Amino acid sequence: MKDKIRMILFVLILGSFLTSILLLVDSYASPIIKRNKILKIKKSILTALEIPYNNKNITGVFSNNIEIVKKKNKTFYISKNGDVSFKMSGPGVWGPIESAIALKPDLKTIKSITIIHQEETPGLGSRITGKKFLNEFKNKVITPEIRIVRAGQAKGNNEVDAITGATLSSKAFEALINNQIKLYLPLIKGGKK
Amino acid sequence: MIFARLKSTEEFKTVANGLWRDHPIFSMVLGICTALAVSNKVDNAIAMSAGTTFVLVATAIIISLLRKLISTRVRIITFMIVIASFVIIVDKAIEAFFPSISEALGPYIGLIITNCIIMGRAEAFYIQNKVHLSILDALANGLGYTYTLVSIAIIREALGFGTILGIRVMPAGWTNWVIMAMAPGAFFILSVFIWLSRTLAKIEP
Repeated sequence: MKDKIRMILFVLILGSFLTSILLLVDSYASPIIKRNKILKIKKSILTALEIPYNNKNITGVFSNNIEIVKKKNKTFYISKNGDVSFKMSGPGVWGPIESAIALKPDLKTIKSITIIHQEETPGLGSRITGKKFLNEFKNKVITPEIRIVRAGQAKGNNEVDAITGATLSSKAFEALINNQIKLYLPLIKGGKK
Repeated sequence: MIFARLKSTEEFKTVANGLWRDHPIFSMVLGICTALAVSNKVDNAIAMSAGTTFVLVATAIIISLLRKLISTRVRIITFMIVIASFVIIVDKAIEAFFPSISEALGPYIGLIITNCIIMGRAEAFYIQNKVHLSILDALANGLGYTYTLVSIAIIREALGFGTILGIRVMPAGWTNWVIMAMAPGAFFILSVFIWLSRTLAKIEP
């Protein structure tokens, strides 16, 4: 009996000790992580709109150059020359993919795309963050829709080469872009005069 | 003479076992899933090894300090909560201070919890040995895990991407062996590695 009580006490004490350490670490790290995330989103939007910035003046450049427009709880980021950017999210192969896209003022041509967050297979699907892949989207047209085709076979101005060895991630990204554009485009078209 | 005396000390044996004779990956074949998953790029392998080594050392300290208090019936749950806590600390610290590494490794940091090396060493060693020996054992095993992961990653990244640590090493005309970047490549290289080192260490199957 005495042994059992000692055992339970031991687990309880160790458990609460470790829990309090975790709480401490969390209360210290959470604000930093939150700030990192906001910075990351601002950075991605700026990159998508191709507005130059450096790591020290992100917040300043962001608030000086970008007008934030809210439509039915969707957020649009509009730059001074009329480019429109918004966040896109959807399922990837292992976890969610978050991305930012910028459209030129005609709302048909892609200015550029950046990835904010992804959990694809390291080294395979994770290459959707690579410059080589993302640069392919520049100046492509989103009508009727973006198509990601077998590597080396992209011909039309709405076609992009997939990543070799990451077909599923490429397909997921294709679906994500098209779905989100369908969701966001009518809103911004209605709001922009 | 000095070496012979050094060789018979417990400390030396502990380190030698971790680095070579009882090497976690090729002798005990533990920690294989992470070794397969993150060995496709050298920087991922280094970050993962550093995280695992930190958790190993921290677990070694706590478990060996508490070894006389831990009753045998609750030892597994004790290992679990200690390991899980440190993994969460590592995860949070990397997310706060190295967001880009955290992005690259994605869910794999959390998977350190499932790395059998830590559980295995806690059960086999830390629960029975003094703190300084346990720390040595943790460092040796961590280093053993690190050099294995990094050497596999060097081969896989060079063949699969033509780079090492992102720096181009293969000639310009090199065609990337995509299979090396994928899981089958990891199986090939890891099994060749296990075969070679078991033959060298004269471990009977």
